[in-house]
Amino acid sequence: MSRIWSAPLATRPKTLDPNEYFNLSPDQRRAEDARAALRANLKRTYQLQLNNPHRAELIEDPALTRWVYARANPYPHFKATKKTSLLGAMFGVVPLFVLYYVFKTNRDNKEERIKAGTLERKFSLSS
Amino acid sequence: MAGVGFRQWAKAIAKGRGSGLSALVSGSRAASSVTKDSLPGPFPKTPEERAAAAKKYNLRIEDYEPYPDNGEGYGDYPKLPDRSQHERDPWYQWDHPDLRRNWGEPMHWDFDMYIRNRVDTSPTPVPWSSMWKQLCGFIGFMLFMFYVGEKFPSYQPVAPKQYPYNNLYLERGGDPEKQPEEVNNYEI
Repeated sequence: MSRIWSAPLATRPKTLDPNEYFNLSPDQRRAEDARAALRANLKRTYQLQLNNPHRAELIEDPALTRWVYARANPYPHFKATKKTSLLGAMFGVVPLFVLYYVFKTNRDNKEERIKAGTLERKFSLSS
Repeated sequence: MAGVGFRQWAKAIAKGRGSGLSALVSGSRAASSVTKDSLPGPFPKTPEERAAAAKKYNLRIEDYEPYPDNGEGYGDYPKLPDRSQHERDPWYQWDHPDLRRNWGEPMHWDFDMYIRNRVDTSPTPVPWSSMWKQLCGFIGFMLFMFYVGEKFPSYQPVAPKQYPYNNLYLERGGDPEKQPEEVNNYEI
């Protein structure tokens, strides 16, 4: 049997993992069989649809639909806890006020200096 | 095609069922075969709900682990390992080879982040902390040195330009009859 070298920048694929073959308890094997059965079922469904000569439409992927739906509809599952409120405040409320304050003071300062004639009016575009 | 839609709409309006949008869509049907219970739902509380959710997502009941129920909007979506698509076997015949994914396989919540053009969680040759320290160390050192260079500049010595012929007396329109004052730009 040839040695299996693991690549430094890649995880070893599951099928080349020696732990997959040796010292597996019957429970682990049964678990792997159940997972493989689920995967095989999905493969079979897909292949049947793919190779169906009468199919005239795109093959719809329910996992994709669920993923899109879950990502687009988090609102029903939102609860205002300490963490979520803190995050919301930090990202939504605080920048508003901080940026307003920073810009206003900076602009007011500049305006004062222009009125007093102390600001060096350069021709460069960046300042 | 548009004519049929228009007639349905006119009929619905005439029947007087509701106003606005509900009247317009009364004649519509679902475009896909997606049913309400195949879509993600709220966090599963009872073991039956967990089993139903695991079945919905094509996972084993033991493998199904929802995100913790802390109101961050995940619902019953499964928590899959945070591994990017870079780490999947490049030689296996995936249904979607560029995504390294099979049809119907449950997608990670951050799937669009873990595609092969984006975040890569593959093992690195050097530990992450070591890489981070090297980067921060280098950038910090360069910033510090540039700051020091700004504070203590070091240039070549310069002096005003020296011209010959008595400071170009004749070229500057000096009187040729008059004797110009001697200009010595050197020291011996």
